[in-house]
Amino acid sequence: MNATRFLQIIAARLKGKRLDWTLASLALVLALLPARALAPWTGDIARIAAVPVVPIMHLGMVLRDRIRPPREAFDPRAPEVVELEMSAERYRTLFEQARLKTEALDREVAALKSVRARIGNTGVQLETATVIGIDPTRREGLIRINIGARNGVHRDAAVIVRGDIFGGAVSSDVGEFFSLVKPAPRCTISVRLYPADGADDARAAAAFPGTVLKPVEGGLWIGDIASDAEIREGQVARIADDRFGTVARGMRVGRVRRILPNAQVPLARVVEVEPIALLADESGVVVAIDPPEEQAARSGTAGAR
Amino acid sequence: MRWSIFILFSLIAVAIDASVGGILKIGDAQPRFLPAVVVFALLSAPRLHAVRLAMLAGLLADLMSPAIRADDTQLVVIGPWTLGFALGALAVVPLRSLLYHRNPISSGFATLVFTLLAAVAFVFIWTVRAGILRDESPSWWPGSGAGEVWHQAKVALANGIVAVPAIWLLDKTRPLWGFSTAKRVVPGAAREVV
Repeated sequence: MNATRFLQIIAARLKGKRLDWTLASLALVLALLPARALAPWTGDIARIAAVPVVPIMHLGMVLRDRIRPPREAFDPRAPEVVELEMSAERYRTLFEQARLKTEALDREVAALKSVRARIGNTGVQLETATVIGIDPTRREGLIRINIGARNGVHRDAAVIVRGDIFGGAVSSDVGEFFSLVKPAPRCTISVRLYPADGADDARAAAAFPGTVLKPVEGGLWIGDIASDAEIREGQVARIADDRFGTVARGMRVGRVRRILPNAQVPLARVVEVEPIALLADESGVVVAIDPPEEQAARSGTAGAR
Repeated sequence: MRWSIFILFSLIAVAIDASVGGILKIGDAQPRFLPAVVVFALLSAPRLHAVRLAMLAGLLADLMSPAIRADDTQLVVIGPWTLGFALGALAVVPLRSLLYHRNPISSGFATLVFTLLAAVAFVFIWTVRAGILRDESPSWWPGSGAGEVWHQAKVALANGIVAVPAIWLLDKTRPLWGFSTAKRVVPGAAREVV
């Protein structure tokens, strides 16, 4: 009874601005209450107040999803994502493969042009080949290339790298589809030693000191040379005979590494020559295939020897 | 004025703000329809009820916007928006005599003023709260209060723009609201036109 009367008095007194101030004061007090005083009950009131709002909110959500469909969450393990990534990787690999192949073809074309410019129109057939196997011990140093008798490859055909470097000669083991190449450092080669900055065209080849390079351990050559010949380190050794075909004549094979005195022959010296390029380190080479009549002539010469 | 209609429209506005309102978001400023409803009511309701109806809408805003605490629990703080809306109402009510309140553009301006003042009060109360209660951090933490006022100013501008069509639509429902159109008759001699 007293409570009812109290409420009546309160309601009678709280009118107009007084009610507004009371409500504002109550709101201020509530706003400054600590969380432990608010948490037990304000959340429940919020949930009750949300009840009439929720159906309209759901309708609004449906409308929003119609107007602006939500983007599906990205799942990196979804099958289509995995498949797309694999496709992308596959095409990336194919692209890289094509790029490498283009580069290799460019190199082959450049090498062929370089050799062709050197030999002119002599009837020599040029074939590009790929190194498909090397001697893993590098002791024998034999190299396997992917062209053989089917392409016209013959014994002692010159194998050229980088356009004008003699890389080796085809050995006697010529298969139908592949050949074994004896690298230059395993061959005995007759050379002339030219200045390091290139051949002096004004002088004949006979003007340059010559020697026969014999292979030694370590992939080097040594050759005897007369004491009066003017020799310096770094001079370039170029092939001086036609043993490996006319194409190989004048090609670079090595560079003078050291000049040593000859203990047995005081009037002579020994030059140590290192190869300019190693066939085992190359991926593509050019093989110079002589015309059949020249091959026959060279076979006859070799047989006579 | 019919309070039930005001409460119904306030609930609808809160629901729209919480759902479809997101599609109107520009940058980080999402306009709200609740201030437009409050301003529409403030411009036509009796002065006696103006602050009260704004506080009721503010209470609804407080209940629908819980703060996320550091331990990921939600805390509903009643008061910041309630008092903010009350302050906004105190600013808008005197504007009634200056604004042509049936014009949606003037209503948009009133909404801008209302929201701006409400936001200032909201930030002030949260700042005081964070100062008194050290373990409490405001909803804009780790940003600054000034940053939040700037953000709310952008929201106020968006509210003002959205209020123009919203109040134009609300004006179509004016008969439902039961606003009194009776003029006070002042006793005295009637003027005679000569």
